[in-house]
Amino acid sequence: MKRSSRGGRTATSFLVAATLVHTFIIGMQTTEIGHLPLVGTTGALSVFVWLSSIAYLYTETTSNERSMGVFIAPLLVALQIIPTISRYEVAVRPPVLESPWFVLHISSLLFAYASFSVACVIGITYMLLFKELKAKHVGFFYNRLPSLQILDVMNMRAITIGWLFLTIGVIVGGVWALQAQAEFDDPRVQAMSVLDPKIFIALLCWVVYSFELYARRSVGWTGWRTAKFSIIGFAIVLLNFLPVGYFLTRTHNF
Amino acid sequence: MSQLFLLGINHHTAPVSLRERLDFSKRDLSETLAALSTRPACSEAVVLSTCNRVELYVRCDNPSHARAELTNFLSDFHGVDPAALTPHLYGLASNEAAQHLFRVAAGLDSLVVGEPQILGQVKEAYTTASELGCTGSLLNKLFHCSFAAGKRVRSETELGEGAVSVSYAAVALARKIFGSLTEHDVLLVGAGEMSELTAVHLRAQQVRRIVVTNRTAAHADALAGKIGGEALPWSEIQQVLATTDVVVSATGSPEPIITRSQVEAVMRARRNRPLFIMDIAVPRDVEASAGTIEQVFLYNIDDLQAIVSENLARRSAQIKQAEVIVAEEVSGFMTWLRSRRAVPTVVALRQRFEMIRQAELKRLEPKLASLAPGDRARVEDVTRLIVEKLLSTPTERLKELSNAETVHMYGRALNQLFDLDSSPVLRERPDDQAVAPPTSSVQKTPVTS
Repeated sequence: MKRSSRGGRTATSFLVAATLVHTFIIGMQTTEIGHLPLVGTTGALSVFVWLSSIAYLYTETTSNERSMGVFIAPLLVALQIIPTISRYEVAVRPPVLESPWFVLHISSLLFAYASFSVACVIGITYMLLFKELKAKHVGFFYNRLPSLQILDVMNMRAITIGWLFLTIGVIVGGVWALQAQAEFDDPRVQAMSVLDPKIFIALLCWVVYSFELYARRSVGWTGWRTAKFSIIGFAIVLLNFLPVGYFLTRTHNF
Repeated sequence: MSQLFLLGINHHTAPVSLRERLDFSKRDLSETLAALSTRPACSEAVVLSTCNRVELYVRCDNPSHARAELTNFLSDFHGVDPAALTPHLYGLASNEAAQHLFRVAAGLDSLVVGEPQILGQVKEAYTTASELGCTGSLLNKLFHCSFAAGKRVRSETELGEGAVSVSYAAVALARKIFGSLTEHDVLLVGAGEMSELTAVHLRAQQVRRIVVTNRTAAHADALAGKIGGEALPWSEIQQVLATTDVVVSATGSPEPIITRSQVEAVMRARRNRPLFIMDIAVPRDVEASAGTIEQVFLYNIDDLQAIVSENLARRSAQIKQAEVIVAEEVSGFMTWLRSRRAVPTVVALRQRFEMIRQAELKRLEPKLASLAPGDRARVEDVTRLIVEKLLSTPTERLKELSNAETVHMYGRALNQLFDLDSSPVLRERPDDQAVAPPTSSVQKTPVTS
């Protein structure tokens, strides 16, 4: 990375600046409504992008490995376009969401998804490097990426952390939904079940990532397959955010 | 006028048979330097002696005298006929000598362009000379600039990047797959020269275990002993394949030794952990189809060679950029060198002005005596400041002069105008202050470091 180390530093500075601005905006929204702007898909998406960029900056500064930025930055920019152009009103949470469970549920899940997005990016780079090594035509990725072994370890770490938070988020969500159904008559709450697309896909994610961890530990899956699964898993996460969050769900759309 | 001179011989100008006769081993380097610095033609000296070059860097008064004297020195010291030596020697003075050293330090003059050892060797040569008190301000500055040039080329270009030998390329690939190799075993199939070379590189990566196997067990034993590995019977290849992660195969066998089905069979036992096989034998030892197994990375000699030539091509593409850096550093050094020429005049001028200031203060002493101590100090400050201001532009201009002639002329004019001859500096100038206006003579003093 010698040739572009100055460019890399500049890019990092831009990302840091952007994240700070984003922090400021989220901070403003928080003071405006009295809690994190997690209500509504758009607000949650914005927080998700914010968390991802923090997670990425953390891995970059600790590993001094800038090569992933090429992949993750465009993804974040693309996702952030939605909150940017939709000019959404920061939603104040309805009474049903006024619960300590709310912040725990949403922030666990968002953090899990942020971890999965990092894992996905690492998975992509793993596959690119693997292909290059297999094709015996080493060059671009060979010169820029760390070893397959390190990418694999990073990928597994991100998946494990993500899975942990996903589990917490899902359990908290389940417990909280049962409580809420007893308390509120809101039809959206009453209709909440495993068949709700958003809940269903979250559970599907949990199954996919649990299987990935199990296969890795007990079946002896290779780094290649783990990498592939990290990408598939994150595709499902994105599916939950975008089409499902905006168009499909009827009950879970707060 | 003292200047920089270099006399040398390297792999471009002389065959190894001559170079090896001129080699200064580390042991007799101090003797060499001591002998060199007693020679009248040179006052500072650094000897750079590596397997590809012998170069003497000196500070001298006259390059052609220095050349003759250093040639004699080399032929005397090593007992080589000067006539046989002269055609292979190159003598460079001033900026050309600086440029040569900077290119050497940057790895541009090496046999394998960009190789990393040379900068360390240059540093060592300099440290040895400087510890023996054989360097002075000129060579100190020169070598420090050369380190800077070498470092800049390394950090700002990719001149030293990428493996440029087959065995090193193999090691680099293994590291790209497994990261650190300390937890991995290596299997060498065949006990030839190529296996040995690769094993030495792998050993340097601190691999956990090296296992050697060969059809002739005695050869395996011999190589295992040499590289600190274990010898294993030929029949056990299959078992070892299950536990080892890096395989280097280099036998003279006409038939494949490791087949696809063999590799397929061990992959289950390996729980699909990656297996890196380097087949550097011709004809090949490993069935090419084994490379299609998912977790098997199979590289043959051509694949490795292709990586090496690609790296070499990339290095040569960086040469231009490296040369630009070297040129920048040379010009920085030359600027410093030129500014040094004017130093004696500047010092003399300053002393002259200070003398006048002191004399005037003394003359006015009766009038100043009545002032309060604070006011007195202010008078002191104001007069000093005026002198500083008056001198600052002339000082800068003098240091900027690039032409030795002009420095000379200015020096003479200033001498005349300010009567600098009566100033003490120009009479007892230290040796380091280089060129002087013509009215004073350069005196030679022993080397200071």
